Amino acid sequence: MRECQIVSRKFELENSHTLEVSQENGGYKTLEKLKEYSPTDIIKIISDANLRGKGGGGAPAGAKWELMPQESDKPSFLAVNCDESEPGTFKDRQIITKDPHLLIEGILITCYAIRAKHAYIYIRGEYYAYQQILQAAIDEACEAGLLNDCDITIHRGAGAYICGEKSALLESMEGKRGHPRLKPKQKEPEWYFDNPTLVNNVETIATVPFIVENGAEAYRAYGTEKSPGTLLFAMSGHVEKPGVYEAEFGTSMMEYINHYGGGIKNGKKLKAVIPGGVSCGVLTAKEVEGLTLDYEALRAVGSSLGTGGMILMDEDTCMVTALKNILEFYHEESCGQCTPCREGTGWVDKLVGKILDGKGTKADIDKLLKIADTMNGKTICVFAPAVSTVIVSFIKRFRAEFEVIL
Amino acid sequence: MSDMIKVVVDDRSYNVEEGSRLIDLLIKEKIKVPYFCYHEALGADGNCRMCMVEIEGQKRPQIACDTFVKKGMEVRSKGDNIEKVRTNILELELINHPVDCPTCDQAGECSLQDFYMDYGLHDAEITIQEKIKHNKKMDLGSNVMLDQERCVLCARCTRFTDKITHSHELGIIGRGDHARVSTMPGRKLENPYAMNVVDLCPVGALTSKDFRFKQRVWFLKTVNSICHGCAKGCNIYIDHNKMKYQDDVIYRFRPRRNDEVNGFFICDEGRLSYKSLQENRQKQILLRKKVILNDQAVEEIRRLIDIYKFHIVITIDANLYTEEIESILAWAKVLGAKVYAPMEIYQDETFQDDMLKSANRAANTKTIENLGIDTGIPHKSGLLINFNHPQTFECDSKIEFKTHKTENTEFVLPLATYAEGTGHLTNEDGIVQYSEQALFMNAPVPTVTEWIEKVQL
Repeated sequence: MRECQIVSRKFELENSHTLEVSQENGGYKTLEKLKEYSPTDIIKIISDANLRGKGGGGAPAGAKWELMPQESDKPSFLAVNCDESEPGTFKDRQIITKDPHLLIEGILITCYAIRAKHAYIYIRGEYYAYQQILQAAIDEACEAGLLNDCDITIHRGAGAYICGEKSALLESMEGKRGHPRLKPKQKEPEWYFDNPTLVNNVETIATVPFIVENGAEAYRAYGTEKSPGTLLFAMSGHVEKPGVYEAEFGTSMMEYINHYGGGIKNGKKLKAVIPGGVSCGVLTAKEVEGLTLDYEALRAVGSSLGTGGMILMDEDTCMVTALKNILEFYHEESCGQCTPCREGTGWVDKLVGKILDGKGTKADIDKLLKIADTMNGKTICVFAPAVSTVIVSFIKRFRAEFEVIL
Repeated sequence: MSDMIKVVVDDRSYNVEEGSRLIDLLIKEKIKVPYFCYHEALGADGNCRMCMVEIEGQKRPQIACDTFVKKGMEVRSKGDNIEKVRTNILELELINHPVDCPTCDQAGECSLQDFYMDYGLHDAEITIQEKIKHNKKMDLGSNVMLDQERCVLCARCTRFTDKITHSHELGIIGRGDHARVSTMPGRKLENPYAMNVVDLCPVGALTSKDFRFKQRVWFLKTVNSICHGCAKGCNIYIDHNKMKYQDDVIYRFRPRRNDEVNGFFICDEGRLSYKSLQENRQKQILLRKKVILNDQAVEEIRRLIDIYKFHIVITIDANLYTEEIESILAWAKVLGAKVYAPMEIYQDETFQDDMLKSANRAANTKTIENLGIDTGIPHKSGLLINFNHPQTFECDSKIEFKTHKTENTEFVLPLATYAEGTGHLTNEDGIVQYSEQALFMNAPVPTVTEWIEKVQL
């Protein structure tokens, strides 16, 4: 397994969150280099590197940047998505606490490329302590005159999972309820108070300095053809050493788990893996064998890479209880805008609860699948389809466990 | 204006403006499509997910409210597939709905009921018995009552206070299936158009404190009329009913869509003006406080006219129908009388706003102007014949035709209200509108024209 540290290079250093340590280790060096490039050059480098958004969707970042107007009478904005609320995901937290200056550097480059003078970092409200570290870093950078004419403002969320959806994030930033917006019919940027805005994940922005410094080819040297580069994969659950470890795309999943995670806790057998935050379909231990960590491989087995935050479950795990746990989360977090999601998340949660209580019937399992079908692809955002995927993947792979409980 | 293009809906071709909303076409062509949240005045919100249609080339069903028509688009609004989708979503809508139709005032004009008849009518799949409980009786203010349990969260009401009145009193609080409509903390629903949210609400969540529990809506008969509250001439429906052994009664006014005049809404004052219209009515003929009969009255009128020949002044209310004003003018010519419509009393700057309310509180002012009637104060006369003008003026003797009771009882004759008659009105923008007769009373009171005919015979 090849060690690779694109984003996590400074994580292990003492006081890595300070400007001093950052600059000693090459932080903000790319700002000098910026002078050689025009904003469109930077966008081209990002597009050439085929940097894929690291917030879960994996859409090409360059294409998104290209949508931002280079000439406009309206101001452009950058919104950095640090809402990180997906259960099993805690990689952005590492960046803002271990190397906040890398993020700031990335923000400055991105703002230069999209001609924005103001960047917002939308941080989940629960990250209060981490926000303090990030704010201190911004203050330090500001005092050192590194920000030039760019402003960086931290906007704290109020604790809604859905505000990690880019348009809900912007609604929330505008002071409204965090409800996803209807999707535009043509390709266009996002809008913050009717001004063109780019929304990118923290890790995506934190990857930008490496690419600008070393070139697109250097980034593409890692990972696979279609999923180039690296990702801060993470492990939690029944694993010896849970945590965030950077790896390149295409790494073998089992190898990653055993190398960094030290195998399954207490030497037990692996039963199932949710590969990238709970919104990705669950996989059995058998499916995971031989599986590589990239967008294409996971899609091929009917799941998705998501944020790369793996949840590992050992042989003693009750899959019905696990599903109930996840559905409770969705029930709590549905924003309540679209009918299928608002009413469906509650219904499936209660139904699985009924099954767990031993009061369910076989018909209830089929009904879960039917509700999942109604919730899939009929809402404004992808929240309900994600719930649908989770239900279907659990029942499809572990139906026997559901039936045993009845 | 965009180009007109052809789109196909259910194998029929329609001409439609490119880029317009598909749902507008479906509504216009009366193609059945269920929807809660869409409203032409409020735009698309896309939250109810009911208006699903199939579009050729699209993998999944799409909501018609957020689909813009394109050249060659092929749409299917019927068929087992799409109806099943609608049924499933409707079922979700009903999970936490209390289904208390027997005690719900909206029953009979409820979208949820209608769609259930179209797409439901099956055995419920819901095996979870407990429903989410919310407040069933919230007085929001301005005569609006909220039952949070019946709400489908279409957000029409909140969008109305956000986009139309800009008063922002209503909002949705809570997430997921705990989301509910409420007033903002420490606020009441307080704006002059507040009761429109009752009409906007597709279900029984928002009901009118003024109307609820008075009548079942299926007993009501509806006619098209014009509000007489001001010179704007908002189009309304009059909902009335004549119950057995009782007289015809108006139960409510509702706004009637007219894009040239009032759009979709009316003000609360106009909406509630049906009450004063029916209260305190003048029903008998009074001559010096004594009740007299029709024939005696006609005799008395003729006697007075004979006495005061050429010293007669007629005053008219600027709310009368054009037809009535014209017959008064014709009669005045015969009598040699001068006609006045003193306008000052109708002017009320405090009523005016920039939406629908006009400072001119008379419905037919424009006709008065068009016919060249004197709008000043009349000179002292021998005989004053007043057709429902609110003021009286100096004279030796007077005949008053009044719709409502008055302190002056020298010689008062009853007059039909606008709801009991029919005719045209010209609003302040010069738009001529027709108002139908709503009420047919057990003992009808004569209209202006009928009185004049009686006297002239």
